[in-house]
Amino acid sequence: MSNKKKIVLAEDNSTLSLLLKFRLQKEGYDLFIAANGKEAIELIEEHQPELILSDIMMPYISGLEVISHVRNKLEMKVPIIVFSAAGQEEMVLKAFSLGANDFMGKPFSPNELVIRVKRLLS
Amino acid sequence: MDSSTVRLILLIIHILFFIYAFSVIFSYVFLSFISALESSQYIKRNSFVNYNEILSSTVSPSISIIAPAYNESLNIIENVRSLLSSHYVNYDVIIVNDGSKDDSLEKLIKAYDLVKVNYLINYQVPTKPLRQGVFKSTNPAFEKLIVVDKENGGKADALNCGLNISQSKYVACIDVDCLLLEDSLQKMIKPFLELTDVKVIASGGVIRIANACEIKEGKLININLPSKFIEIAQILEYLRSFLLGRMAWSRLNGLLVISGAFGMFDKKIAIEVGGYNTKTVGEDMEIIVRMRRRMEEENIKYKVAYIPDPLCWTEAPDNYKILISQRNRWTRGTIEVLKIHRKIGFNPKYRLLGMLSYPYWFFYERLAPIIEVIGILYFIVLIALDNVRWDYALAFFLSAYLFTIMFTIIAIFSEELTYHQYTKKGTGFKLLLVTLLEPFVLHPFILYAAIKGNIDYYFNKKIKWGEMTRKGLSKTES
Amino acid sequence: MNNSQSVLEYFMQLPTLVKAVWLISIVLFILILGLILYLKILRIYLRKNEKEQIKYQKIYEENLINYLYAGDDVNEISEEQQLFINKTKIEILNTFNRKVLISVMSKLVNDISGEIAVSIHKFYYETGLINYSLKKIKARKWEIIASGIDELTQFEVKQAHNKIEKLIKHPHKEVRNQAQLYLVNLFQFQGLNFLNNLEYQLSEWNQIQLLEILQKFDNQEITNISNWLKSNNISVVMFALKLAKVYNQFESKDALLDLLKHPNEEIRVQTIDVLSYFFDTECKEYLKSNFNNSSKSEQIAFLKLLENTGDASDENFILENINHPNFKIKLASLKILKEINPTKFNNLEISESDTASKRIVEFINNN
Repeated sequence: MSNKKKIVLAEDNSTLSLLLKFRLQKEGYDLFIAANGKEAIELIEEHQPELILSDIMMPYISGLEVISHVRNKLEMKVPIIVFSAAGQEEMVLKAFSLGANDFMGKPFSPNELVIRVKRLLS
Repeated sequence: MDSSTVRLILLIIHILFFIYAFSVIFSYVFLSFISALESSQYIKRNSFVNYNEILSSTVSPSISIIAPAYNESLNIIENVRSLLSSHYVNYDVIIVNDGSKDDSLEKLIKAYDLVKVNYLINYQVPTKPLRQGVFKSTNPAFEKLIVVDKENGGKADALNCGLNISQSKYVACIDVDCLLLEDSLQKMIKPFLELTDVKVIASGGVIRIANACEIKEGKLININLPSKFIEIAQILEYLRSFLLGRMAWSRLNGLLVISGAFGMFDKKIAIEVGGYNTKTVGEDMEIIVRMRRRMEEENIKYKVAYIPDPLCWTEAPDNYKILISQRNRWTRGTIEVLKIHRKIGFNPKYRLLGMLSYPYWFFYERLAPIIEVIGILYFIVLIALDNVRWDYALAFFLSAYLFTIMFTIIAIFSEELTYHQYTKKGTGFKLLLVTLLEPFVLHPFILYAAIKGNIDYYFNKKIKWGEMTRKGLSKTES
Repeated sequence: MNNSQSVLEYFMQLPTLVKAVWLISIVLFILILGLILYLKILRIYLRKNEKEQIKYQKIYEENLINYLYAGDDVNEISEEQQLFINKTKIEILNTFNRKVLISVMSKLVNDISGEIAVSIHKFYYETGLINYSLKKIKARKWEIIASGIDELTQFEVKQAHNKIEKLIKHPHKEVRNQAQLYLVNLFQFQGLNFLNNLEYQLSEWNQIQLLEILQKFDNQEITNISNWLKSNNISVVMFALKLAKVYNQFESKDALLDLLKHPNEEIRVQTIDVLSYFFDTECKEYLKSNFNNSSKSEQIAFLKLLENTGDASDENFILENINHPNFKIKLASLKILKEINPTKFNNLEISESDTASKRIVEFINNN
């Protein structure tokens, strides 16, 4: 069907995820929004996205577990960018050791995110 | 005895009963008033608190969640997952497998990739020895988990083992089958960090009833009002006790008990007083009384804090048999604790603790069921002697009933105005209906259980723990 | 008529006590009816309110995002944006709408930086939301003042500095806290100047918050903390100790060494901890000579320091403490001994009954 690249975005701040969705859609991506880790895993399994954006701290299943699930259970190599709040350096390190490709510390600039997304998807 | 002496004795008894009833009502009015004051201030104070910085800070003090587990195989995996999902950064989870006879440990090892580790324990509180040892996960996602396998020694003993294992400054002692919301730890730690003029030694949380609530993967998804009378009636009981009673006592700084299902302690002080008492079934109340006593004796300004937010959800008994055995145990716990610490009762040296909290607990918790039964017996005798002015009795009975109803409704109000958890249409009506019936339906069972607790305490010393058969929090999953 | 008359007659002949009880029952009954009615109304109101909240939140979320993407240049407001601003000005006359809009905006502003954040700040000015916040900090009720400061902090209104600085001495704790957060969020290390003459105690909670905020910024150029280390306010000293550690303030070492003699135990312990973090050796002799007069926590902290800095010269001191009754001190001593003199450690003779030492040695050997 469409050859748009698919992105799953997992973020519990609904306003932020709407903002990013609009922005990334404008850049020509197909966005799937999850409000928590559990929904994210379901969307990932269903749509096999080309990129995953995930917050680390989320209800139900944390971003770390999403990464772990994607890498170990689903054995997908899809690039993953994680969002973290200030002071979660430890979590970021763990995210990398679990197989995340990049991270953005909150607060971040949506423009910068777009640049990183493009780089990983080119 | 001539008839005038009998009459005099009867008159004195009547007056005592009257004073008792009047003081009960007065104290309830007083407590409701205080609690309303405290609730509104609490809500205001916390309306714009930003917890983010505390959450993510590595300078935030460390907390250990200690959860004893005995034959919890059915739900242990889900329960641990819920404990691991707290949003606080600097914490760990210590599951103490208290000599379970089921496959809890094997399940945990498999689900969380556990391996046995070399762990040096500082035995500051004596406990039963370890069985298979201490386990940690090889998966970094579960890095916060520590599982200890020890020989069976009861809940207090398991908690003590957790106190020895913990390396943290604070410990949160919880029932493993409790469901904690993700922001529980930062809310419970707040009073310890916030107050500068007094030493906070412990903070207690509210217990909410999770029956019929939708729970997935150890997370609370949807709050529902259960359908059974016995469950709704307990919800009302809990609202009264937590939102009216404890809220007021915390304001007075006279809180004598924080629930064993969820409480946080300054670990140093908990260990200094010797940890949990393994010889009582009221270990959760006992440790608070002991810690308070220590502070009073050392003349340190202290506080036992209380967090009214609905953070901890647990399954309540849904049949009378289990409810009775649970309340029987609570009664024995109260009796034991008051007896162990009878020295503080009416002792001005212990100030508020000795002169208000203890006496209140003694008269209105410890003695209440006994006095009630005496009253009923006396009434029966009067009926037998055909000595009852039914119209007078009706008046007294009606006013007592209406008072009960009113306090329950006030409790519902304080819930609506603060947390408003039961949002669905029609639940208000159900709650009211149960409010009207509860004094006739649930209360007799509670009274029976309390009396049975007294009898068991005095005449049946070998009584064992009431077993709580769990239907499982994650029943929506299966 | 007859009936009610007989009821009245019956009532009049009752003893006073029973009369009173009947009256109380009637009053209670009316009260309960009133409460039930009120409960019904309250529940309906709350339900409606919640629905509205969700509805408006959705609307504002979408509108705000559309607004943010409607401009081409951050510094200029497009026509489309101006239309939305005008519309918003009218809508926020309603307190409920204003609250919802502010909550949506703050959800974004906390997680977003760069152009979009600037654009949100601009929106906050242009719509006049700022005036509502400025009005709030003049209110009488403390909770309104506090939430006003909170808004001014989130949308980075630097021009409120003078007004808020005055609130740093407000009698209500929450107002003071918010004022501190404002100063540090917007003026970073310079905002900390309020510590110079702080009379109230700074709670641990606040200290952590301030520290975290400071760490968010790129500018990590810290002002000199020596004066705060010498403060008469214990909480300021504690906070300065935290700053010393986080920002590696070696320069303030002299002030730190003085603090080892501070009358407050917690400060002494914290100071040893910071010195230990700096691998300081200068304090060793003093702490050794004072060891037996210090508290348990200080002793433990000092041994932690020796774990970092211990050398052959400490051997005698360590040997004195490997049989210390305190488990932590014993553990640390044995660990240090293994570091500085492994032969001696391996040849230690431990009596059969000394289970603690045996367990520790076994543990050290296995790790």
